[in-house]
Amino acid sequence: MPQYGMVIDLKRCYGCYACVMACKVKNHTPPKIFWARLLKSEQGKFPNTVRQALPVLCMQCDEPSCMEVCPTGATIQLDNGIVIVDKDKCMGCKYCMMGCPYGARYSVDTWESYFPDGLPLSEYEEWAKKYWEEKFGVGVATKCDFCRDLLEEGKLPACVEACSANARTFGDLDDLDSEPSILIRKHRGEVLNPELGNKPKVYYLAPR
Amino acid sequence: MGTAANQKQDKWVPTCCGQCYCMCGIKARVQDGIVTQVEGNPDAPTGRGSICVKGLAAPHLLYDPYRVNYPMKRTNPKKGLGEDPKFVRISWEEALDTITEKLKECQDRDPRGCFFQATTTQASEIRFGVIGFMRGFGTPNYWVSGGGLHCGNGAHFMNGIMHVSWSIIPDFAHCNYALNFGCSKGHGAGHTAVQNATQVADARYRGFKNVVFDPFQSAQASKAHEWVPIRVGTDGALALGLVNSLINEHGIYDAEYLSYKTNSPYLIKPDDGKYMRNPETNLPLVWDLVDNAPKVHNDPSVTRVQYEDQAHEVALEGRYTVGGVECTPAFELLKEHVKKYTPEYVEKITYVPAKTISRIAKEFGEAAEIGSTVTIQTDEGPRKIPRRPVATHFFRGAQGHTNSGWTCLSIDMVNHIVGAADTYGSALGLGGTVMDGYQDENGNKTTGKPYQIPYPCPDGLLTAKAWVYDHVPYPLREPKPPTRLDLHDMFPTSIYNAFTICSPKWFEMLERFEIPYRPDVMINFGSNSVMTMGNAETVTENFLKKFKFIFSFQLYVTEFEEAVADIILPDTCYLERFTPAVSFPSTFSHPQGEDDWGWTIRQPVVQPLYERRDFNQVMIDISERLGIHGKYFKGLNDTVPMRYGGPMEEKNKLIEDGSVVHTWPDVCDRLVRDRFGDEHDLEYFKKRGLITWPKRKEDVYWKWFNPSRVPVYFEYFIESGEKISKLWDHYGGKDFFDFDWSRFKALADWYPCPTHTEEDPEYDMHTFYWRSVIHCNSLTQQNPYLDECAQEDPDTYAVQMHKGTAAEKGISDGDYIWLENPEGHRVKGWVSLSEGIEPHHLAIAAVAGHWGKHLPVAEGKGVFFNDLVEMDLGHTDPLTFNQDICCRVKVYKAE
Amino acid sequence: MDPKVNGQLQHEWGWLIAIYLFLGGVGGGAYTIAAINSFLGKGAEFSTTVGLWIGFPALLIGTFFLILDLGSPTKAILAGMKPGSSWIARGTWIIALFMVLSFIHLVLHHFTNTPQSTMNLVAAAGIVFAIGTMAYTGILLSASKGIPFWRTGVVPVVFVISALVTGHFTVMLGMVLFGDGEGIRELLATVMAKEAVILVVLEVLAIFFFLHASFRTPDSRESAERILKKTSFVVGYFVLGLALPLALALLLLFGMADSSASAVKCVASNAALFGLIGGLLLRQGVLVCGTMPTLNIGGFQFRRIARPKDPKAGIGTLPPQ
Ligand SMILES: Nc1nc2c(c(=O)[nH]1)N[C@H]1C(S)=C(S)[C@@H](COP(=O)(O)OP(=O)(O)OC[C@H]3O[C@@H](n4cnc5c(=O)[nH]c(N)nc54)[C@H](O)[C@@H]3O)O[C@H]1N2
Ligand SMILES: Nc1nc2c(c(=O)[nH]1)N[C@H]1C(S)=C(S)[C@@H](COP(=O)(O)OP(=O)(O)OC[C@H]3O[C@@H](n4cnc5c(=O)[nH]c(N)nc54)[C@H](O)[C@@H]3O)O[C@H]1N2
Ligand code: SF4
Ligand code: SF4
Ligand code: SF4
Ligand code: SF4
Ligand code: SF4
Ligand SMILES: [Mo]
Repeated sequence: MPQYGMVIDLKRCYGCYACVMACKVKNHTPPKIFWARLLKSEQGKFPNTVRQALPVLCMQCDEPSCMEVCPTGATIQLDNGIVIVDKDKCMGCKYCMMGCPYGARYSVDTWESYFPDGLPLSEYEEWAKKYWEEKFGVGVATKCDFCRDLLEEGKLPACVEACSANARTFGDLDDLDSEPSILIRKHRGEVLNPELGNKPKVYYLAPR
Repeated sequence: MGTAANQKQDKWVPTCCGQCYCMCGIKARVQDGIVTQVEGNPDAPTGRGSICVKGLAAPHLLYDPYRVNYPMKRTNPKKGLGEDPKFVRISWEEALDTITEKLKECQDRDPRGCFFQATTTQASEIRFGVIGFMRGFGTPNYWVSGGGLHCGNGAHFMNGIMHVSWSIIPDFAHCNYALNFGCSKGHGAGHTAVQNATQVADARYRGFKNVVFDPFQSAQASKAHEWVPIRVGTDGALALGLVNSLINEHGIYDAEYLSYKTNSPYLIKPDDGKYMRNPETNLPLVWDLVDNAPKVHNDPSVTRVQYEDQAHEVALEGRYTVGGVECTPAFELLKEHVKKYTPEYVEKITYVPAKTISRIAKEFGEAAEIGSTVTIQTDEGPRKIPRRPVATHFFRGAQGHTNSGWTCLSIDMVNHIVGAADTYGSALGLGGTVMDGYQDENGNKTTGKPYQIPYPCPDGLLTAKAWVYDHVPYPLREPKPPTRLDLHDMFPTSIYNAFTICSPKWFEMLERFEIPYRPDVMINFGSNSVMTMGNAETVTENFLKKFKFIFSFQLYVTEFEEAVADIILPDTCYLERFTPAVSFPSTFSHPQGEDDWGWTIRQPVVQPLYERRDFNQVMIDISERLGIHGKYFKGLNDTVPMRYGGPMEEKNKLIEDGSVVHTWPDVCDRLVRDRFGDEHDLEYFKKRGLITWPKRKEDVYWKWFNPSRVPVYFEYFIESGEKISKLWDHYGGKDFFDFDWSRFKALADWYPCPTHTEEDPEYDMHTFYWRSVIHCNSLTQQNPYLDECAQEDPDTYAVQMHKGTAAEKGISDGDYIWLENPEGHRVKGWVSLSEGIEPHHLAIAAVAGHWGKHLPVAEGKGVFFNDLVEMDLGHTDPLTFNQDICCRVKVYKAE
Repeated sequence: MDPKVNGQLQHEWGWLIAIYLFLGGVGGGAYTIAAINSFLGKGAEFSTTVGLWIGFPALLIGTFFLILDLGSPTKAILAGMKPGSSWIARGTWIIALFMVLSFIHLVLHHFTNTPQSTMNLVAAAGIVFAIGTMAYTGILLSASKGIPFWRTGVVPVVFVISALVTGHFTVMLGMVLFGDGEGIRELLATVMAKEAVILVVLEVLAIFFFLHASFRTPDSRESAERILKKTSFVVGYFVLGLALPLALALLLLFGMADSSASAVKCVASNAALFGLIGGLLLRQGVLVCGTMPTLNIGGFQFRRIARPKDPKAGIGTLPPQ
């Protein structure tokens, strides 16, 4: 079984939000849900400042604290390492959201419209709502699942495909010759906040 | 998974994005008849499978419940900002009847009273419906509102002269050191944004160094190896400082290039600054240092077309007597001229430290590796060409000022000094420049089209074969007595302008300049000129309200329609229509560098929803109702060659005698078949979305294969200026505007903008705008996916301000503030504090701050910068009429 | 208050969960007091009665609030599936068993006259679960990796003590409401007041220690600073919820030796009421001030953006008013 992981190269990333949007339209996530998210930061004093974007998503932790706290067993880790939520078991207690130190979980109570003024849903929204409710459900916790349906089709995750800077590489971390494994070795890839001990499977390459 | 499984229908349709003019090839996914997803088309060189955040967000644009779905008419006769238009739905019949009637009346009064306004965002569509109609109807009056005046008049014109291209960009694949003067190329905006992003990211790993001059730490500055904060509007001074430092401080310049690929050696007469010409042939002369004699510029002994050609050395410096007159090579004059731009002088203007200026000049000059060459494979076998892995590039930021024209030339001048133009690793004309016709799989040229190879004019200067406008950027048109509502005929260095038509004295001017007709009917295709031009009240009151009748093709009811439109026609968006060509051979929005050529089309991914109709079909229908369709098609036959690379074959030409009314798809089919052969008809393109063919290396790096030279000394401006000023005085133009004719001269200079000369200490801040990758102009704020994204971004909807400055002013993060310009126009926004911005500047993104009642998602998000933009001549570049888009403001807390 | 929407704040758990934790505490606390007092023999008899009557329903209602907060209440039944790792699951079991026990205790206490010795056994067992319940309400939070502010062993301590306090005050309240006669007056002014003083003093110490510790790491510090800016916390909890009841309890103890039963009741009930409100505000405050960890890499600190509450601030002079 592969252990899927991702490498995000901050030297390549120019903070373009394409991954964020690719995830939204691939999964048709409702408002305010950002499985793929972009954080921005700045350091230094003028004129010696640096700005950097940090794309985040579910780190697919090897030791997922979200799963640990889940009382119902809705959150499970697949053999390929991907951590998913079983919408039929999730009771929506949101404890996993407190348990995830990477803010990668989102609870969805109802599927609201993206448009104000309570108009009837647009054709696309009707479709998206149906898609979402069947696949990820409402009244439950949701999260990035590494686009496992695409993986089954032998494709790459949507956010990886979308990245024009090729900042995102995806593959099997157990395979030492996989692209991500090589990058991690070559450029000393690191994970976010290792002190948390979650053993993330999303690695980052230094911005400079 | 549930849905995935019981899919009734699930297909991907290849087409082209249309939310900005980058023209990315896309695949749209149609599930159960609904467009649910859009992705990049891997076959498209524009992005090879990647597209940007906006392109991805497409489903909400197509299905937005606030889209215009039916024709509507205004029932409130009162026009103006804040008026409730009280639009009511009408039938297409009624709409077209009214429109035809109004146009007929206009035709009887004077067809030139019809004014076409269009959006840049649909750069390709407008070359058919707009131009065909203007020709057919017989009006010369049009503009693409903000397009041009904010981003083009200066840049396109000057890059046209120097590269026969819309813009310039580094050869990212081989460039080692680039200077970016205010553009987001490779970092979210520009003409081929997505492809460039990939190239820059790769280059970064190659050790590519990018120095970014920008008042704030933009995306490109954040990724740059060095960010150099610069004061807005002063790039020209900085560039000339670099030129001076290169030539006079470090003694670095490419004599070979200057001698044979520019007019540097042309001998200049002392009295009038014009070329010394050969009495017989009237050709400009250069001084042959071997024969010690004057030679005409194209004498074989002093010309080198290819790098390996042999030629005599020619004089770049010194004094030479020809026919008793002591002449000076242009380069010598330039060398002397730029001496005043000492690092110290330039520091005062730009805020860039003198040390930094000469350091960067040195780094740039050394990185150029003058003398180095590479051998490339051409159709004629291997050829040695210069390798110059450096480039300066620029766009909207640097050129959006009252010094636009000369600033653009000055920045590009830096390239030409070191010979870094259109050769390996250097600054390249963006979108290619040389396109030698389609090649099929076996490398055979079939149609010889699309074709665009620039050639030298008699004076030896680079001349475009194809261009996006009716007239090539060089040679200049003859200034003529005006016939257009913006007096454009008089001004050969511009395509249109705002300072005339937006002036409160517009009609007096028309009177004085003997324009016999007045604004009558306005047709708008897309543009939201109320928001995208400048101060909304000025545009609306002085210009738009002067039209008797305005109808508008739109996706949304924007501020423009609310203010002044009488009828709105529901247009299709790019996912619902055909477009036979989205970019221009080869000046505009073609992929960069050595990757393939691609010719992309648009096709309906779904049939037009509701009662939306394709603009280009409707324009044909209207022409038919007016009985001008024959002339309309003739107009297209006449203009296609210039824009799309070569004349139509007889059999493909549109019928001009009016006996046939071509449908829009038929027009599209004829164009693509004519360019690529009958086997590549519209059906072919519908299957693939585009056609690609390999670029020849000698077309990418064409400089040393083309016999033309580019000017470093703009001799012909002098005469043009003399002619225009004569005309101007003839009409007593002074009574309206006091022109600075001194700008029409041969050598580059920097001129201050009002923002630099403002004396009142109260107005202590410069403000300017930048492009957030999330939004395109005024269109995308209504897309909730993108709006949501923008709200995640710390800067897109904010006014960025330096922490220290804010502290002095007692302003804290998140405060609401007013920005007010000396003319008393003000805008409101909330502050985002940062260290990443020059302390005297305030940065604002996009065309935001919508107030339209029909754009509820966009309403009030972000800041409406343009209300601060004044539209008089004082805020216009007298050379190119580019608008000034930096302002001096005072800031104070709101409520 | 913060002019901006701070993306780092957890906004999922609010009043409902606060009440759940509060009532859990009250239940556990009241029972414990009741049980302890039952050892004291006949003297504190009545307080035991009241305590038992309060414990059970408090837990029941508390659980109801948890279910109210669920996205899919119908699946609440699954809450206990993973006691191996999840504290909600464990808590569910603890509370469930505790409810059963306290119910049995209640029945035995009232409708049988089981010998004191067996009652003591039941009480002892009950106390174990009561303490479990009280501790659970805190451990639930301290087990949350996503909220550094909560992620400390001090939280359970604070919550247990606060639970005893609130439990104790509910008992007091109950006594005031249902009891009468000299006995009550005596009880309130002596045993109950004394216990109150001791417990409140302990809570003051605990909360101080908790906040002090929070200032050590940046993320929990941010939460601590937030909570100290919260009026409902500083005034509502600190002043009115701790200081005031303490003062009143002291008054009962030393100042009211010979005042009337009604006066004593009045003071006691006020002390109790304020103490209870304080307990609720404490939990609500701790919940809503929880923020996610800052993410650090390459020397940058990444946080979700904080933007003005009203993004619609862009409109300039238009449309003309
Ligand atoms: N503050 C500020 N001002 C700017 C700029 C900026 O960045 N900031 N940019 C400047 C520049 S460079 C330019 S080019 C101009 C652009 O200014 P405009 O030419 O006005 O372009 P947009 O703002 O994109 O407006 C496009 C309008 O056309 C409509 N539209 C889009 N697609 C279609 C279509 O397929 N059919 C029809 N019928 N309508 C369509 C949209 O609804 C929108 O209202 O703005 C300039 N002004
Ligand atoms: N995402 C996105 N892409 C777009 C568009 C869009 O609206 N959004 N619009 C399309 C259009 S119409 C155009 S014209 C192109 C424009 O493409 P660009 O020319 O790349 O436009 P900007 O991103 O506005 O680049 C302007 C940059 O220059 C900086 N700047 C502003 N004033 C000055 C100055 O005086 N000096 C210097 N040195 N820098 C300055 C700004 O901070 C900003 O970072 O993009 C096209 N692509
Ligand atoms: S798409 Fe790629 S470059 Fe753009 S933000 Fe995401 S990771 Fe960065
Ligand atoms: S990132 Fe969060 S949600 Fe994803 S596995 Fe780790 S703990 Fe779970
Ligand atoms: S919300 Fe669902 S997944 Fe998360 S902890 Fe509760 S039950 Fe488990
Ligand atoms: S992997 Fe798929 S689900 Fe996860 S962030 Fe990327 S696109 Fe979204
Ligand atoms: S860059 Fe322009 S054309 Fe390309 S996807 Fe984005 S919006 Fe569409
Ligand atoms: Mo533009």
